[in-house]
This record gives sequence, C-alpha cells and structure tokens, in this order.
Amino acid sequence: MTDKVSIVIVSHSPEVAKGAADMVRQMVGDDIAIASCGGNSEGGLGTDVAAIMKSIEAVWSPRGVAVLVDLGGAETNSEMAIELLGPEKAKQIVICNAPVVEGAVMAATEAAGGSDLETVRQTAEDFKA
Amino acid sequence: MSEAASNIEWITASAMIVDETGLHARPAVKLTKLAKTFEASVEIRSQAQDRWVNAKSPNAVMKLKAAYNTPLLIRASGPDAAAAAEALADLVERNFDA
Amino acid sequence: MTSDVLNARLIDLIGDRIEAHADELTELDQAIGDGDHGDNMRRGFRAVSAERDALANMTFGEALKKAGMTLVMKVGGASGPLYGSAFMAMGKSTEAMPESRAQAAQLLEAGIEAVKARGKSDVGAKTMLDVLVPVLKSIEAGADIADVRKAADEAVEATKPMLATKGRAAFLGERSVGHIDPGARSSALIVHAVCDALEEK
Repeated sequence: MTDKVSIVIVSHSPEVAKGAADMVRQMVGDDIAIASCGGNSEGGLGTDVAAIMKSIEAVWSPRGVAVLVDLGGAETNSEMAIELLGPEKAKQIVICNAPVVEGAVMAATEAAGGSDLETVRQTAEDFKA
Repeated sequence: MSEAASNIEWITASAMIVDETGLHARPAVKLTKLAKTFEASVEIRSQAQDRWVNAKSPNAVMKLKAAYNTPLLIRASGPDAAAAAEALADLVERNFDA
Repeated sequence: MTSDVLNARLIDLIGDRIEAHADELTELDQAIGDGDHGDNMRRGFRAVSAERDALANMTFGEALKKAGMTLVMKVGGASGPLYGSAFMAMGKSTEAMPESRAQAAQLLEAGIEAVKARGKSDVGAKTMLDVLVPVLKSIEAGADIADVRKAADEAVEATKPMLATKGRAAFLGERSVGHIDPGARSSALIVHAVCDALEEK
C-alpha cells in the first residue's frame, strides 16, 4: 500500500472530508491509502492541527503524501501540521492548490498509477472542469 | 493495423461508448488507471473530434468529454502497445464494468 | 512581580479580555469572514487558561512556546497557527521576560515575523499585522503604555477602509471595505491585556 503516494483530505466539515474520501475510494479504488479529517477539536466546523497530523501519519508513505484542503484555515492549519511533523517528513508532503473533491480524485488517479509526488500534485492542480 | 503519425508507429483500436452520459468522470478514471499499467504511450480521441489526448492523463481524459454512441479511438505505441490498445478497447466495450 | 506571577497574570488578563469580547469578535467576523473568530479565540485561550498553573511555573519563554502550541492545537481556524506561531516564535526568541523597551520590541518583532511567514502576508492586507506592526512602531518610538493602547485602537480603526487581500475576507474583495478586521481587533485585545499587566507591575 505504501509504494504509492497517499492522499489526505482536509475540510472544515467532517462530512465533506469523509464524503470526498468515499468518492475517491469509489472512483479510484483501494490501491492507494487515503485519509480524511474535518472539524475543529470540539467537532464544530473548522480544522484541527492534531487531527491533520494524525491523518498524515496514518497514511504515511515513503513516496509522499498529497494533501487537499478546502478554505483558508484548512490550508494554514495543514501547513502548521506539516511543519510540526518535522523537516524530514515535511519534504515528502505537499498541499495541492486544487479544489478539494476534484483535486482529490485527480491526485488519487495519478497516484494509483504509481506516479511520484510532484506529478500527483501537478495533476491535481491542472484540473479544470 | 498501424497508422503513421509523424515517425511513430501506432497500434490502433476503437470501441463504442455505450454509456448514455458519455465518457464521464468515473469511466475516465478507470480508463486512465488502466492506461497507466502499460509501458506504451497510449492516446485516445473521440471520432467526433480530431485531437488525440494522452490516455494516462486524468485531466486530459476527463476534459475529452467523449460522447455517447460515438466510437472512441485508441492508439498505442511502445513495447506492449498491442496489449494496451486491446485492453482499453475491451474496457470501453464492457462499458467500463459499470 | 516575579516572572511566575506575571505569567499567570498575563494568562488571566488575556483570557478575560478574549472572553469578554468573544461575541464582538464573532460579530466582526460574521461581516467579512466565516463568523467563528470569537468562538475560536475563546476555545484557544480557555485551553491556555486551563494550563495556567503549569505555565506559571515555566520560564517566560517556555510558557510562551507551550501556550503557542496550545493555540495551534485548539483554535481550529487560521488564527490558531497565526497566533500560535507568533507565541512560539516569541518564546524561542527569549528565555526571560523583557526588561527593557528594546527587549520588548525584539520580542514583538519575533512574533510579527512568524505571523508574516505563516500567513504569507504583510501590513496593508487587513489582518492582525495591521495592529501588531503599528504597535511595534509605537514601542520603538518610545511610546508610554497609554500611547501603545492608543496606537492599537487607532490601528484597528484603520483596518476599516482597507481592502482585504489575505484570509477569508479576501473572497469579498471590495465588500470587505468598511468593516474592521476581526484579527486586528483580537490582536488589539491582547495588546490591551499586556498593557494592563505592565501597569500592575
């Protein structure tokens, strides 16, 4: 499972994050590891640095982890989480500047084919409907 | 059967898109994933258009918007080109195992 | 006042200010953000207050770092990493509480640099930096405590005509004009609380 880039989805809403992950699993299949997290530490709308760190570690792959985020705070909190995971791991994690659902499907499709982290990021970011 | 495009030797195949919504997102993902399992370069186009796109690119396949009841043309070049063209045509014919 | 007492006092004073103005922050954020700034700040600083006794027994620098990490983990919005990074950077910049104006300015500057880096932002984008930087300038210019408070309040008001180019408010573009930035307001609340602590000293 870890010979491919993994995907982490971060949304303000746990339902959106889980729904997006479900959609990726249905469309792309189970050959890549995917984790989702959403909501603040009390379960309300928001994002939680500790939960993001846990999600990244849960699907950790030596090939890298591509993170898809929704709005502002999700990105800032993901950047913070990546930094707190330490410089060695941080080198292997990217945040994709792409819409969360579409970007996750694209990134996962690319990752399932065995592409490297940079290619996965590029494919997610090139998405235009 | 081969077709010369510049100096590349292509193996070609074609299959009808039978899903009424055309080559939509889920089939596009399946097609891309399958294409990526081959070493050969694989390209596709809808017979209704004259532009070949890289079948291994999720974005390109998604954007193709190949329509219902229109043949999807497949061409492959490289060591496993014949197997690639056949496998992709089969997938389209099976209506992407929907 | 010894450092452990002042640590505890700072935590109480900042916590009380945030608690008292949480609804106001939320109202400001409802106008140009997602309306959660008050709740987020309250949750974050309540978590810091819950660690009050442990923080009071640490050095000033260690307490700042620990409080910063708590904010990062608990706030739940972008302000968590922003304030959290500021506190952590300030904590890294000094072990002891500032004794001079120059040391206080250095401390604040370390926090400001962290906010700039974390938010990929600078002054003029209608953010907390539009309060923190003018406050730093007033300290460097030799302002007394009353002047620092005034500088913070004027800086908050000055965010009103600004066009937001960072954060959630940037989505609103021109419509962000005419509203006070909630992050600027929460920064001023913290500045006021620190001023209170200094006056008690």
